[in-house]
Order: sequence, then C-alpha cells, then structure tokens
Amino acid sequence: MTVANLVQIISSGLAMGSIYILVALGLYITHLTVHKVNFGQGDFLMVATFVMLATRSAGLPLLACVVVTLVILALMGWLLDLIAIQPLERKKSLKIGAFSWILTTAGIALILQNVIELGFGKTAHYSPPLFSTGRDHIVQVFGAGLFFEEILVILAAAIIVLGFYLFMFRTRWGRSIQAVAFNPETAKLLGVNTSLVKTGVFVIASMLAAVGGILLGPLIAINPHIGLVLTIKALIVAAIGGFANPVGILVGGILFGVFEALSNYFDSSFGDLYPLLAALIIVAVWPSGLFSERQADVR
Amino acid sequence: MKIGIGKFGAIIACTVGLALSSTSNAQVKVGVIQGLSGPPAIVDFGESYLQGVKLALKDYQASGGKTKIELIVYDDEANPQRAVSLAQRLIQNDKVAAIIGTVSSGNVMAMAPIIQKAGVPLMAGPSIATGITKKFINENPSYIFRCSMVEQFQIDQMLDWGVKNFKRIGLVHSTTGYGNFAAKEIIEGLKTRGVTLVAIEAAAPGVNDLTPQMIKLKDADAQLVLNFHESFELPFRPMPRIGYKPVVAGNWGLSSQKVIEIVGKEAIEGTVMGQALDITTPKAQAFDAKAKKEFGSAYRWPVVAALGYDAGQIVFAAVDKVGKSDPAAIRNALENIDGIQAVSATPAKPFSSTDHECLDKEHVFLGVWKNGVITRLN
Amino acid sequence: MSGEKSSLGSQKNNKFKYIFALIFILVFPWLTVNEFFIFVAQTFCYTAIAVIGLNLLLGLSGQMSLGQAGFYALGAYGSALTSLHFGWPLILSIIFGTLVAAVGGLVVGTYALRTRGLYLAMTTLAFGYVIDILAQRWVDLTGGTMGLIGISQFEGFGPISGAVMLLYVAGLSLLCAQVISDYINETRIGRGLRAIRESEVFAASVGIQTQVWKTLIFGFSAALAGLGGALFVHQSGYVGSDAFTVRLSIALLIAVVIGGLGSRSGPIIGTLILLGIVELIAGVHKYGLIIYGSILLVVLLAFPKGASGILESALGLIRRKEPLVPDSFLDITSEDIELALSGLEQHSTSITLQQVSKSYSGVKAVDKISIDIKKGQVHGLIGPNGAGKSTVINMIAGIYVPDNGRVLIGDKDMSGLGVAKRAQSGLVRTFQNLQLIEGVSVLDNVLLGVQSKRGEFKCFANWLMGQPTEIPEKKRALSILRFLKIAHLANRLPSELPYGHRKLLELARAIAQGPRILLLDEPVAGMNSQEAKEIASVITRLRERGVTILLVEHNMEFVMSVCDQISVLNFGQLIAQGTPTVIQSNPDVIAAYFGTGKEA
Repeated sequence: MTVANLVQIISSGLAMGSIYILVALGLYITHLTVHKVNFGQGDFLMVATFVMLATRSAGLPLLACVVVTLVILALMGWLLDLIAIQPLERKKSLKIGAFSWILTTAGIALILQNVIELGFGKTAHYSPPLFSTGRDHIVQVFGAGLFFEEILVILAAAIIVLGFYLFMFRTRWGRSIQAVAFNPETAKLLGVNTSLVKTGVFVIASMLAAVGGILLGPLIAINPHIGLVLTIKALIVAAIGGFANPVGILVGGILFGVFEALSNYFDSSFGDLYPLLAALIIVAVWPSGLFSERQADVR
Repeated sequence: MKIGIGKFGAIIACTVGLALSSTSNAQVKVGVIQGLSGPPAIVDFGESYLQGVKLALKDYQASGGKTKIELIVYDDEANPQRAVSLAQRLIQNDKVAAIIGTVSSGNVMAMAPIIQKAGVPLMAGPSIATGITKKFINENPSYIFRCSMVEQFQIDQMLDWGVKNFKRIGLVHSTTGYGNFAAKEIIEGLKTRGVTLVAIEAAAPGVNDLTPQMIKLKDADAQLVLNFHESFELPFRPMPRIGYKPVVAGNWGLSSQKVIEIVGKEAIEGTVMGQALDITTPKAQAFDAKAKKEFGSAYRWPVVAALGYDAGQIVFAAVDKVGKSDPAAIRNALENIDGIQAVSATPAKPFSSTDHECLDKEHVFLGVWKNGVITRLN
Repeated sequence: MSGEKSSLGSQKNNKFKYIFALIFILVFPWLTVNEFFIFVAQTFCYTAIAVIGLNLLLGLSGQMSLGQAGFYALGAYGSALTSLHFGWPLILSIIFGTLVAAVGGLVVGTYALRTRGLYLAMTTLAFGYVIDILAQRWVDLTGGTMGLIGISQFEGFGPISGAVMLLYVAGLSLLCAQVISDYINETRIGRGLRAIRESEVFAASVGIQTQVWKTLIFGFSAALAGLGGALFVHQSGYVGSDAFTVRLSIALLIAVVIGGLGSRSGPIIGTLILLGIVELIAGVHKYGLIIYGSILLVVLLAFPKGASGILESALGLIRRKEPLVPDSFLDITSEDIELALSGLEQHSTSITLQQVSKSYSGVKAVDKISIDIKKGQVHGLIGPNGAGKSTVINMIAGIYVPDNGRVLIGDKDMSGLGVAKRAQSGLVRTFQNLQLIEGVSVLDNVLLGVQSKRGEFKCFANWLMGQPTEIPEKKRALSILRFLKIAHLANRLPSELPYGHRKLLELARAIAQGPRILLLDEPVAGMNSQEAKEIASVITRLRERGVTILLVEHNMEFVMSVCDQISVLNFGQLIAQGTPTVIQSNPDVIAAYFGTGKEA
C-alpha cells in the first residue's frame, strides 16, 4: 500500500471518526446528567442532513442554512425531553422498569424516519457541498487527493470538540452540568436550576447531532434510514470511552473511524463488521470502557 | 358478546351481498406488488415501474377498453415475507385475476410458486434475475411471465463488447445476493471468453464510500470497470480525488436520471449500460413526454417506466380480450397476445409457449451516455 | 379460614382454558373462510412465541434486548439449512434451529452479565445488527437477500393439508410456550426473576445465583425467538435476509409493550394487535413507521400496563381483591410459632472479623477492625454517622471485599464467596433502605426467602393439574407473617404498606430464609418504642433458637436492652467493646457521640 493510499484511508477514517465523536458526545452529556440517552441520536443527525439539503436547495446562504438547522434540532431536543423523557421521570411505573426511555426515544426515531420519508421520498439524496460548488474540489496532501469537504469535517469537528471541553470544564454552565451529574439534590441546594440543566443537555446533544449532520451530509448519500447505523456506532464509541470520559470518546472515535476505514480497504465485503466486533469485545473485557473507573452497583 | 338475531342476519346479508357484488359486472381486479419502501435502490425501481403501469391503465381507459379494470397496489417493503403474504392476500381475499410485480428477484422467487399453484398469471417486473421464467416454463401451463430486463442478456452483451475493446477489466459488486450472483455470471462469462478480471472488489450494499475499492482498481490499472453495485453512482464519486478515469459499464441501473444528476454530465460521459429503450424512437419520445406531464419530477427512469408501461398494456389487453375475471383464460390470452405497440424494445408478439419473456436476447442492447442523453452504443 | 385459603391460592386454578385453546387450535382450520386466514394464523402463532420469550426476558427479568431478531434469524437459518442441505425431517430441523438460537442466547446472555441496562441494550442492538449483516453478506451460506428457496414444508395427509399441519405444529408450540410462561409467572421462578429485575443485590442476598438465572432466561427467550424463526421459514419454504433487520426486533418489542409488559396474557394480545395493525396499514404503508412509533409512545406514556392492563380494569378484575379477613385469622398459635421458626438451624455459628480494612478513593472507611461474635449472641454495632457500620455489614455479607483482613463464619474464611453463596450457607441480612420487591405481593416477598425443597418438575406437574402449589412453603410464610402480626396484609403490595409494616416485612423475609447468622441493618429505625419492644422480643426469640445476630442501630434503648455485647466504631476505628453497662459509661464512647465539650 502506497503512502498516498494510506493517507487517503486515514483521512476518510478521521472524517467519519469525527462524526462519530460528535454524535457520541451528545450521548455522553445526557448520560452523564440524567443517565439516559436518545436512541434516535443518529436519526436526529439524519434530520439535520435533510434540513440542510432542503435549505441549500432552496438557495439560502450557507450561514442561514446552518442556523436554521441548529434551531430546528435544538427544538427537537427540547421536545424529545418533554415528550419522551420527562413523563417517565414522573411515572416511574414499576411495570416498565427503568429503561422505558429506550423505547420512547426509539419510537420518536421511527416517527422521524417516516416524516422525512413523506417529505423527501425514500430514494437517496446528495447534499450540496458546504464550501465548494462542484464535487471536485481536491486538495493534495502527501501525494494523496483529499476532498476539501473531508478536511473541513475533521477541522470543524476538532474545533467543536475543543469548544465542548472548554464549555464543560471552564464555564459556569459546564460546571452546573457536572454538578447535576454528580448529585442532583446537592446541585439544587447549591442553587443550580436542575430542571433547566436536565432539559438543556438534550438540547445540546441535539445540536451536536445537528453539527454532525451538517458536516456529514455532503460526504455521503443520505436517505431516511441512515440513522440507525450511526446510533449504533456512536453508542459503541461512547461505550469505549466509558460514557464518562470525553477524552476516551475522542480517542475511541478516532480509533474506531480509522480502524473501520482500514478494514474496509483490506476486506471490502465484511469491512464494517470488524470494528463492531472489536468494539463489542472491548466492552466485554472492559465493561466500563477503556478510560473510566468501574463503579460498584451498591445501594 | 351476544349479538341479536337481527344483527346477525344483517351481517350475513351484507357478506353475501359483498361476495356476489365482487363477481358481478365485468370488473376485473389486477393486483400489483412492488417495492415502494425500504432501500433507496429498490424504491427507485418500484416506483418507476409502477408509474409505467399506472400510465398504461390511464391510456387503456382513455382508449375505451371495454372491461373495467381495478388496480390493487400493495407495498412489499422489499421484504419477501411481506411479498408472500400479500400474494396470498391478493389471491384469496381480493380475488385478483392477475398480478404484476415485484422488484427484488428474491421476492419474486418467493411468491411465484404460490401464484403458479393458485393458477393466477404473474407478470414479473422489474426484477431481472435470469431464471425467473425459466424455472416455471416447463409447468403445464406456466403462469409466470416477465416484462423486464434479463440479467443474462445485458451481461452477455456487455462482456462481448468489453472483451473486444479493453485489455484490462475490473469488477466492483455489492455483497447482496444480486451482486454476488452477477459477479459469478460475469466471472464465468469472461472465462468462456478467455479473459480474467484484473481486480474484483466487493462492497456492502449500504456503504457510503467506495474509495478503498476504487483505489485497488486503479492500482490494478483496470481500463474498464464493471459496476454491479446497487448504489450505481458510488464508484464515480472517489474518481476525481484519486485521479482515475476508467470507462464504466453496468446494468440498466446506470440509466437512471438520478445517476447523471449526482455524478454530473462530464463524469458520466461514455458510461455504458444494458438498455431496452431507445429514447430516440417516436414512440419512446411520446411516452417520455406523457410521463413527464403525468408525474413531473417524480418520473426519473425512462427504461424502467417504459417496461412497466408495456407490462401494463399487455396485461390489460389480455384482460380485455377475455372480458371477465378468469385467470386461466387470461393466461392463455397473455401467451398468445399480439399486436402490442411497445414503448420499450418488446416485440409485438412477446410470448410463446416456450418463451415468457418480453425481452429476448436480441431485444437487449447497449446504451451509452453521450452529452447527457442515452443513445445506442455502436 | 377463607383468608388463608385465598393466600394459599386455592381459588379456582382451572386449567380449562388450555384445553379450550387446544380444541380451538384443532378446529380452527375448518372454521375459516379461505386459506389466507390459515396463513395469518400461522404467522400469529410463531410471532407470538417469540413475543412470549421477549416478555419473559424484558418483563420479568428486566433485561432489555433490542436484538431478538438475531436469535430469530439463528433459528430460521439453523432450521432452513439442515432441512435444505441435509434433508433432515422438519421436526428435527426445527428443534435444531431452536437449539442454535438457545446457544446463541446463552452466549449473549453470558456476555450480558458484564453489562446491564444501557450497555445491554446497546450490545444486543449491535448483536442484532451483526447477525443482520452476516445474513445479508454471507451469501454462500444464507443466499443473502435473494435467499434460499425450496426449503421443505410440511406435507399434509388425508384431509389435513400441509398448511394446516404447520398451523397445528405452530399452534401447539405456542400453547406449550404459553403454559410454561404462565407457570414461570405464577411460581418461584417468576418471583426470583422479578427480584432480579428490581434489585440484583437483594436477589443475591436471598440466595439467588443471579448470574445463572439471568443467563438461563436469556437463553430461554432466545430459544423461543429461534423457534418462531424456524417455524417462519417453513411457512413459505423461503428465507431471505431482509426478514431479520432491526425492524423485526422493534416489532417484537412493540407487541410486548402493547400487550402489557410482564403480564401473562400480554404477548397473545400484543401479537394480535400488532398483526392487526400490519394488515390494516398494508394499504397505508406510507405512515407505517409513524404508527409504530406513536404506539410505542402512547402505550409507554399513557397505558404502561398495555392492553392487558386496560382489559383487566375494564373487566373489573382487580387482582388483589382480598376477602374479608376474620379475626381468628390473626390469632397465633404455638404451632404457628413452631412453624415460623422451624427453618432456623440448630447449629449456631460465630462471626469473626480479623483486622479488616476498607478504603474508598483514599478515604479509610474501616480501619483494622477485629470483632469476635460468639455463637448464639446478639451483638450490637453502634457509632456516629459515617463511622463505617454499614461498610462492616456489607463486608460480612459479601458485597464489599475487604482490602485487608479476613471475615470468618465459624472457622471458614469467607473470602472469595459471593453474596449468593454466603446467603445459601445461612447468612441473612436486612437492608437499611429496605429492599422489598414492589412488583409482587407481601406473601411473595416472604416466599422469596423460603427455599423450596420440592423438585421443579413435580411442582410443574401439580400446577398443570390445577392443584395449588407450594403449600408447605406458603403455610410457613403465612405463619411467619402471623408471628409478626402482619398476616392480614399477605395479598397486598408492599407499596401499600406503611413504613413500620414494611420493616416487619423485611424482617419476615429474613426469618423465612432460616438464618444461622442474621445481620440487621437498623431494624427499628423509624419505629416507636412499643414497636421497637416487639421487635426486641422477636430478636430474643431468635436468639433462643441459636441464631447469631449482629445489628446496627442508633436507638440506644433498644440496643442496650437486647444486646449481649456491643462494639463501638468511630471514624472507621473500633473505640470500645463490651457489655451494655460497660459501654454506657465508657468516656470515649460518650465523647464520640457528644463531643468532649472542649470544641465549643
């Protein structure tokens, strides 16, 4: 394999890995605070790709499209919390057990898929690139031709992840979130508006999905059913990072994405299976992920 | 639950009434099973074929067909279990006299035995698996017909042309049953022509990017790439970045309007595919205009729609000849039908007792994208 | 006594419904209008089997599986390939397919032990997806999406067509599955599974090997899914990989949820509704996913008990309608007391802690503690909050592992023994925050403590005959409840009880376990002095029987009155040990509780 090929593959891997990281961070932040995740996170990303497609095709300027997408997804996150998460908190019905939110968020994911189907049809669509007019914008790196969009994805994701860290660990809001994550009652006593935080994390998670969708849309063929695979992969990436450690998610996402690209190169028919299997094995051997401490389940 | 005698009697009366009404007055039901949801590749085929069928019905009614025909359309969701279940439903419940469908050859093969056993004619399409009618042709009589491309024919034509014009041929295919089957046919077909492929690449059906595969094809220096992946446009996407521009040939999937929209006029130029519709003929032009008017931008695949149209016309003509809901008679009428003015390359008398294919080997030809239009390859 | 009778379950336990169902299955083909209905009935049967499996897994043991389609696929291909390539007779193929799925379930179930909740959902989702991919791409084996055709189907004989044969096989399998499911629901296994769902720690503390049970139920539910898949394949003689996507897993979940999670009739009702919807929307397929998604939302948010719950309320069958309880029901006889305490071993044993230490994140919770509790003694453990008392209890019980030192029961070192094993050898504990199983009745909670001496098959045979089950166990449980004066609440749910009675229930369950050693974590917290006195007399009774008791308490009057010896902890260290009188006048103890006066 030549250097050029290797660069190609790694760059594709990094790009996809960045998308997985963005989606996984959304899962991380909600799991941290309320111990629930949106099982339709990938479908939220899918909706974002279609919103971008629609607004771009309508001729709106790029910035407007991005803003519209972010706003719509933020709204969806708020609604998700309202419809699928909050009512369950109140009910705590024994019959269902503690994990009915998995099914309610999955239910919303199904509805979203159908809505997009009705609006756009079930065939594949291609979203216009973000910063180029044609699809041939190539940049030469180490003798390999990389799509400009791809480099953009990696850069954008890196910036956002950095921003996310700063947000979580340097700002007051970030610290409020961590307080609620650690102990909601104490946080409340310390004056943190816990219900705002609990809703807020879902809004943030949805916006992270939105960014993922904005960046991913131009790179692949989109259709209403790309969500599930993304959800599975994001969950796995988050799990490798232990759901508790953003650095772990970063590393996990990069590893997963690059491994996936490499295994696709070497075995094109079963390529995407190997990273899944590897990840499942990792989660089996290190149930709390590679980067976090095991917490005993004691009362 | 206690139902009073009066209510009970009313229910009986209604049921009898319904039963009677469904067989009275020359109203014939024709069932359609198509893949209208599920993977985008399937949906493209299913919707386009159905457009053709619906247009054929419209024309039939406009030209004063005597028998009233009602279409019953079901979505098999690209799921063979659904297809089988829907076939049962059409036959037992809806009491159709003929069935048209569906996209996945797997679905067709699953439901064909049931339909054959029930003695109802099936006009298969747009499924292209080679053996669909061959499997049943020796039944006495066979109820299975097909109006669609036949995989074997387009592969044969393509291989003949490919071997003549290129020294180094590569293949990219999907890992579905269809893709693997086509790959096998191609490898064997080339072997009988004394040629080996320089590279064979496989890819999952749902994959988003074929860069690794195209890199390997470039490294093997393939001049002609045979494209048998359901997402027909995917092999084109990585080509600019790796600086690779082979000639691409594939099955009729490459003739969809969607492909040129996505790939772009320059990139698709010179791409070859199996074809059964010569858009330059007057009949085809008329059909094209009519379809555009009826379906607008939803109409995007002329050849599939054309075959759907021809399937429709043939079935409706046969039904009209018989005049009532008699599946066995309709089957005979189908086998002997003549005088069809097909839009596609289907001949006027498409079938015989030994041939239930609309398109035979000589009707399939190769098309090529030239200047944004598909023309016959010489 | 009618109260006792109803608690023991001797009301009409008729099994006639099964006979009726059997007759209905046999007669059904001749009732139908056309063959399509037979086809639908077949689909109903094998789908319901898979739904029953999922109901047991999710509803009873609380394990969320989003990948049942994977097991369904294993059963389908296992059966298809053996009948197609090896020419096995159909019944054999179907059994083989079921076994393959069962093995798959055991493997995934073992894997699932290391994960729970969210992780389990995620890994089962990934598992289902992996199977889907394999089925789709391993074309040589499975035929991929084009699939395998010509798989053998049932042949008819005489007036019974092949389709009817399949219906009979599927229908009978469904009946068997439902019978087993009902049995599990109504007896010990169901109780244990529900305990596992609510609190694995609790389940272990009553001697349930949670790992084993969880894996077995996983395997069993996978087997049922596989059976469904195997029957499905022979319905049309065709199998293609499109049938095994995540949509199938979700459809099964919807059926379970609609029917009523964890209920007995839920799967049947849920499958009926699901298939009804599928047929209804065949024409309106455009809105299919919206309908499914909305159903999930509506049912989970508004009707968590599902259709069977609605049905129950509508028909007015409120399960725990208790009859009027006569006063004589509450009178306790000496026979009762004998029976109540009959489980207690005569072989007393001691507890020894040798230099035991435990730290969390750098904080030393327990620092080199040595305590010697002689057999048959009541030993108190007191100290201010945060002194480490609960940690000590948890280490003896086996929930925490000491960093240093040993825990000995008698002269046996307990290191390496898990909670369940310790419970099985007579170590019983109560919990500070009361681990009661809210989903089952008071009586069932106590029954969880009782070990059954009867073989499972005999029990099942009796149950099938319609006889009331577990009579000796229930009698003993009732006597314990009478002993603690809460027998009239036997059929209620724990959530309906006031706090004091909940504590008594916890104690009843502990007694039912027949302890040699009893660890009581704050047994009289929140009780008034009268109630505390009664508990004290119960404890004395137990001590007379030779039970060694270690209790943690803050109620000094209680502690001083009932304990033989007391150990005092402060900041993880043992600061005093001795009889109550000695402890009461120990200056260090007083300082620990009230301060030295110097700080103010």
